[in-house]
Amino acid sequence: MTISENIEKVLLTEIAVGLEKKSLDPDEDLLEQSIIDSLGLMKLIDFMEKTFGIKILDEQIVPENFQSLNSMVKLVEQQMQNNS
Amino acid sequence: MDFSFTEDQLTFKKSAIEFAERVLNKGVKERERKSEFNQDGWEKCAEFGIHGLSMPEEYGGLGLDILTCVLTMEGLGYGCRDSGLLFAINSHIWTCESPILKFGTDYQKEKYLPGLCKGSLKGGHAMTEPDSGSDAFSMKCKAEKKGDRYIINGAKMFITNAPIADILLVFAVTDSKKGFAGISAFIVEKGFQGFSVGKPLDMMGLKTSPIGEVILQDCEVPEENMLGKEGAGAAIFNSEMEWERSCLFATHVGAMEKDIEECIRYVNDRRQFGKPIGKYQAISHKISDMRVRFELSRLVLYKVAWLKAQGKRAPMESAIAKLFVSESYVENCMEALQIHGAYGYSTEMDLEKNLRDSIAGKIYSGSSEIQRNIIASLLGL
Repeated sequence: MTISENIEKVLLTEIAVGLEKKSLDPDEDLLEQSIIDSLGLMKLIDFMEKTFGIKILDEQIVPENFQSLNSMVKLVEQQMQNNS
Repeated sequence: MDFSFTEDQLTFKKSAIEFAERVLNKGVKERERKSEFNQDGWEKCAEFGIHGLSMPEEYGGLGLDILTCVLTMEGLGYGCRDSGLLFAINSHIWTCESPILKFGTDYQKEKYLPGLCKGSLKGGHAMTEPDSGSDAFSMKCKAEKKGDRYIINGAKMFITNAPIADILLVFAVTDSKKGFAGISAFIVEKGFQGFSVGKPLDMMGLKTSPIGEVILQDCEVPEENMLGKEGAGAAIFNSEMEWERSCLFATHVGAMEKDIEECIRYVNDRRQFGKPIGKYQAISHKISDMRVRFELSRLVLYKVAWLKAQGKRAPMESAIAKLFVSESYVENCMEALQIHGAYGYSTEMDLEKNLRDSIAGKIYSGSSEIQRNIIASLLGL
């Protein structure tokens, strides 16, 4: 599974459970649609750190990094690159 | 697994106990009766280094590691009978000073941290509103950008240190379309135009900790006083709560240890039906349970402190620690009062005050219910 598929899966199955969506547009604004709430974000960060072996700094928890599937993928890739 | 502390850490804890017992307890009953803040105690704590425990030396702090901070807070909780003072100091450190260090610009750190470490500035944060408590991110307080400043409008409620604070970290909505991600944090000085504080609120416990309402009416805040980026408010708030849940509650662990020692002393001295009441299982089992809660509280707290010392995120662990320590403290206070009977119920002793103070711990820093929500959510429920 790609990074994007992994994040999409956890968003649809664990964070936005009641949404009844089968997929997410990579650029759709998840914050404006309230697909992610503050508890969901906590869960998402925990998932991203454990699944991809990265560390997300508190300073990186800003809207532009969690706005869409694509922005989250970019953040993960950037942190993976920093690790290596 | 190593459960030991270094000699230096233990020495620091011991000196915190000795300092608290010698300096912070004078006149505590009178201040409690008058709901009076201990300004002298605040200054003495600052001189001792409490306000800057974890702050870098360049800002006037002691630069201590988190485990030493936790042990020091535990020592203060053991030695100091003025829980309100400890609550005010912890709010100052974890909800104002610490986020400025972590998220602040060089300008903000240089401007505010030396005063906060010295205690010449008092700080706190303003999150809760009259209509948003547990659902903190549904706040109504708004900040609108106008030129080189933000104009903040709204009201904040139950703000620790508000009546005495020189600066408050105020959370406000900067983008209402983005929900929790549209919240930003601002360092607001008491002298800023449009900032005012209501009279201190009379609470059930923590009488010596000033708590009040904050009113922001067209309050002008220079843009350089935004803490972190626009929309970073939720991350700043969550980060400070993790620290507060780890360190503030160490004072409860210290207080629990002291209460247990006093209960043991009392049940050995107090005789009924021809023998010390500690010889009756009805009493000794209560004290055993108190000890179990104390021991587990200490362990869970040390685990969170250890995780934070490793630079790890600990949302689940800090929620568990906050929940368990605060509820254990209330249970222990109830048992201590029951063991002492009418003496415990009397205001002559500190037991009824401890119970009133302890109940606040189940409400502030996220109520017990919210901690259970966090735990459940992280478990995928």
